[in-house]
Amino acid sequence: MDFKELDPILHSQLRLAVVSLLISVREAEFTFLKEKTNSTAGNLSVQINKLKDAGYIEVTKQFSNNYPQTICKITKKGIESFEAYVNALQSYMNPNGLS
Amino acid sequence: MSLEEKKLSENESLKLITEMISKAKSSYHSNGTGAIMWGIVILFCSLFDFFKMQFQFDIGFDIWWLMFLALVPQFIMLFKNKRKKNFVSYEETTLSYVWLAFGASILMLMFFNHYYRPSHSESLFLMLFGLPTFITGGMFRFKPMILGGIICWGLFFISLYTDLKINMLFMALAALSAWLIPGIILRNKCIREAQK
Repeated sequence: MDFKELDPILHSQLRLAVVSLLISVREAEFTFLKEKTNSTAGNLSVQINKLKDAGYIEVTKQFSNNYPQTICKITKKGIESFEAYVNALQSYMNPNGLS
Repeated sequence: MSLEEKKLSENESLKLITEMISKAKSSYHSNGTGAIMWGIVILFCSLFDFFKMQFQFDIGFDIWWLMFLALVPQFIMLFKNKRKKNFVSYEETTLSYVWLAFGASILMLMFFNHYYRPSHSESLFLMLFGLPTFITGGMFRFKPMILGGIICWGLFFISLYTDLKINMLFMALAALSAWLIPGIILRNKCIREAQK
């Protein structure tokens, strides 16, 4: 049996939730991610920075109508890592390779 | 559910991925206002042209230019929605290009008509009406719009054998089936969801 290693960056609840959301949309504001994951701003901010440092997401800070706005977008590396993570999960769920 | 930074089992991971993807997908829905507005404008212009031919009167300009006046509230709505929304979906981006291409094609067809006055050009309008409607319906698996698109294409074939006056009634029918009725269904659905 060949178990692929699960990416430690993605194998954490909040980070995986953020990447799963970002894989489904073109870009999302911090408020969208906070609302959908039901997390605290502080915790979300820390996890977003970890994903950004790993190169999985791009974070742009800007002002819109005098309000600060943080926009997150998944990168090519983030997409590839997410795909590899899902494949690895499948190898755990289906170790004999049977569908 | 609050998500803390904890390790997950394989099953929990898959469940979380599915839940988040479905949450993101359900975030984008149209309230049908744009479809209702376009439906009313096209319905009005078509019926106006029909009655103009029936009762032989003239207002000195082509009523179809009203379509461009209707673009103003459409753009206002677009900017308002953009300010309110905190994400951009792939579907939304694709659809805005589809409808932009539709708008550009309608504009070009109107100029073509204005200069060359070809016969049965309304059939081409019906064909074009069906295109973005069918794509939008298909993308969101929204059957009333898929059906609306098919009705427009059905009317395209029939309109090849009928005269301009009758074709104006077909245009009105296309506006009803492609935009006005699906738009009202979407609006009612949106109101019901907001009340939940």
